[in-house]
Amino acid sequence: MHPQLQLLVALQDMDEMLRETEEQGEEFEGLGFKHGGLEDLKKAREELASKIEPSLASWYRRLTGKFGHAVVPVVGNLCTGCFANIPSSFVSKTNVNKVQKCESCGRLLYWP
Amino acid sequence: MDIAEVLKHTSPDLFIPDLEASDKTAALAGLVEGLISGTDIQNPDTILQMLQSRENLGSTAVGPGIAFPHGRTLAVQRLTILIARCPAGVDFDSEDGDPTKLFFMLIAPPQDTGHQYIKSLAALIDCIQDADLREKLMAAGDYESFCEAMREG
Repeated sequence: MHPQLQLLVALQDMDEMLRETEEQGEEFEGLGFKHGGLEDLKKAREELASKIEPSLASWYRRLTGKFGHAVVPVVGNLCTGCFANIPSSFVSKTNVNKVQKCESCGRLLYWP
Repeated sequence: MDIAEVLKHTSPDLFIPDLEASDKTAALAGLVEGLISGTDIQNPDTILQMLQSRENLGSTAVGPGIAFPHGRTLAVQRLTILIARCPAGVDFDSEDGDPTKLFFMLIAPPQDTGHQYIKSLAALIDCIQDADLREKLMAAGDYESFCEAMREG
């Protein structure tokens, strides 16, 4: 996987964790979980985001604002964001080390 | 959600009866290794990073000798639960300071909009409150008897 895509996936996972903690924190606390490290997690998130190339970081922010999730898995040759077909050439050896975007919706593609 | 429903998200290949770990970092690595070898899931680094971030938010060792590492990641397509026992115990930053001997690790995809993993977490935490059950789980000879004890719990 392209190192920048690895960072983007980690960033989205972290954003998901932050969102869940803010929206459902009480539910988790009711189960006994505590979130004392929330501020540290936010700092770690910014540190991680700073390692992403500015153009990709900008694209990530734009798509997150538009769709909720900027990075989506490709399943069965489909972008799971818009269900457009992903050309098989996208997974060829020449492309495997690039950060790929769906030609239809622009989401960043991840092959799990 | 009942326990039988929760157990549909695990399998014999996702059961580690004797995890060996000297510390929390090694325990998390061992759990992820078990997840990768028991499924077709790839990208262990992404999962490990997510779990470490979750532990930095607050320890998931919230039961007596039990931890529930959990979170969402793009690296999985469906809710997957790995069960592990660590008979020697490992320091997992539990509030009571006791070593953790039993792990239920729940990894969910971001698109788990029905919040199956939170419901599964709640069901597991509720089930595991019984001390007799915890003893049975630590003594269970194999995956089937472990699950049977859970269902009878």
